[in-house]
Amino acid sequence: MEEQARLKMRLQELKQVRQEHRDFPQIKVPLPVPEIPLVFRGHTQQGRKVPKTLVSNLRICYPLPGGSALVTFDDPKVAQQLVRQKEHKVHMEECRLPVQVQPLELPMVTTIQVSSQMSDRKVLVSGFPTNLKLSEEQLLDKLEIFFGKTRNGGGDVETRELLQGGVMLGFTRDGVAQRLCQIGQFTVPLGRQQFPLRVSPYVSGEIQKAEIRSQPVPQSVLVLNIPDVLDGPELHDILEIHFQKPTRGGGEVEALTVVPQGQRGLAVFTAESG
Amino acid sequence: MAADDDNRKQVLQEDWPDEKFMKDEQNERLIAEIAKENIQLKEEIQKLEAELQVTTKSSQIKEDIPATKVKFTSAETPKDDSQLLNVSCSFQMNLQAHYELQKGQALITFEKEEVAQNVIKMKKHHVQIEDVNVEVMAKPVPLTSGVQFQVCVEVSKVKINVTEIPDELPDNQMRDKLELSFCKSRHGGGEVECVEYDKRSGSAVITFVETGVADEILKKKGYPLYTGHSCHRVTVSPYIEKHLKKFQVFSGISKRTVLLTGMEGLDMMDEETVEDLVSIHFQREKNGGGEVDVVKCSLVMHVGDSYAGNEMLPPKYETCQFSSHFTG
Repeated sequence: MEEQARLKMRLQELKQVRQEHRDFPQIKVPLPVPEIPLVFRGHTQQGRKVPKTLVSNLRICYPLPGGSALVTFDDPKVAQQLVRQKEHKVHMEECRLPVQVQPLELPMVTTIQVSSQMSDRKVLVSGFPTNLKLSEEQLLDKLEIFFGKTRNGGGDVETRELLQGGVMLGFTRDGVAQRLCQIGQFTVPLGRQQFPLRVSPYVSGEIQKAEIRSQPVPQSVLVLNIPDVLDGPELHDILEIHFQKPTRGGGEVEALTVVPQGQRGLAVFTAESG
Repeated sequence: MAADDDNRKQVLQEDWPDEKFMKDEQNERLIAEIAKENIQLKEEIQKLEAELQVTTKSSQIKEDIPATKVKFTSAETPKDDSQLLNVSCSFQMNLQAHYELQKGQALITFEKEEVAQNVIKMKKHHVQIEDVNVEVMAKPVPLTSGVQFQVCVEVSKVKINVTEIPDELPDNQMRDKLELSFCKSRHGGGEVECVEYDKRSGSAVITFVETGVADEILKKKGYPLYTGHSCHRVTVSPYIEKHLKKFQVFSGISKRTVLLTGMEGLDMMDEETVEDLVSIHFQREKNGGGEVDVVKCSLVMHVGDSYAGNEMLPPKYETCQFSSHFTG
């Protein structure tokens, strides 16, 4: 009997939606999505294979502790040879600095599984003119103000994000998104002018699984536990001189970053081009 | 079936007092009626759902990411402390819209949108390909929909996941035992900042004060946990946070690229030659064209390809990749 009550409610819902569609025939089913301009640049693949997904803007940030350095060599073989030994002594004029040298491994995502579903609390606002003179922050603020008001059909905004095809707004309560999508069109003040904007349902995504593997950075080595006897620029020079010498197992140094004791740094790695 | 029902009723009649029997029968009938109504309702709902094409379904995207070599680029000062507590890996993913180019078709990308739109508006074009005058039709490119998003994964340098913790002690005691075991430097541990323990799943998250301790412990897959009477080997793994940002479903429209059809008759010609001639034709303003970026043509037989016997026939389709308007 409970099931019947549930089924009756569902039927009622659907009948109502159908009625609404009859009243507002311009609401397209299925879900309208924003258009993003694409262009063909000549890359093709034989056969019917779906092309590989494009991964771009790869950026790995590795924190460097105080008293450490990151040395990047031209020749990966130099780095390989250096890390065979953990303890090294950096030669200075009067003394030697004991340091530790380690290979560098960075995490990289190898497989990703994302599930997407039409969200019941988020909407997509689109139809912005291309020459809008507002910053991202300003635009998001103005939209949050407008769609945060119940008199405009909105409600408390929980999340907001600027996307390529529009702005995503997420609400704290149920029902707000549906109401706004039903209304569909709004005239929103953005700065001194008013603009006709469109609100449609938002398909949101969630990471179900992401497999991560460690991959080595062949050209770089980490130098750790550097004694606190020199200041930044001096230490930089001493290390560079030491690691350039083939007699000390070094080689041509492409880049050297030093983080003196008491400071912190962030090393940024990006995809090797070509 | 009916006979069985009758038999049953007779048996019931004999074993049970009449009144109760009547109530049972009534209940059975009621339940049967409700079940029938439910089936009808379900059918109606299915019909309506199909009619409205209700898209409450969720879809899955599963992708393997090709191995990418990384290189040191620059050193930055961290904007806030949280950046120092993990190694972050972030990237953008674009599941590209693609077009399957059939034999006798070509794709041409113009520098300017207006030129492409004009070529499409003109519809028919007469292109001179060597000694043949071909009637080529210009159309917009129908594209599939795509998905775009940013992934950010943070591997913690101060936290670790601990699993397979035996359910031996009450909550508070086990928490203390975890802290004591993981601060033992002889096993690679270090000063513990806090312990989050979930007795039900036998797992915990340990946060250390110093960075580096986590890396040391994670060199091995297991760690000794002392619970007073015994020592257990618990499993340790990295603590990873995953974030998805700027998720967007879109339909790609191509404003600068035009689909040209009608070149099926040009078999036996060299694709590159045809591409050049098409390009020249559409570069000319008097032909309604303009500056051409790229031309890709797919013809029936590729002259110059040698196929051993007839085993390997050229594939029927060529998949053309479209990329974002804005990337270089």
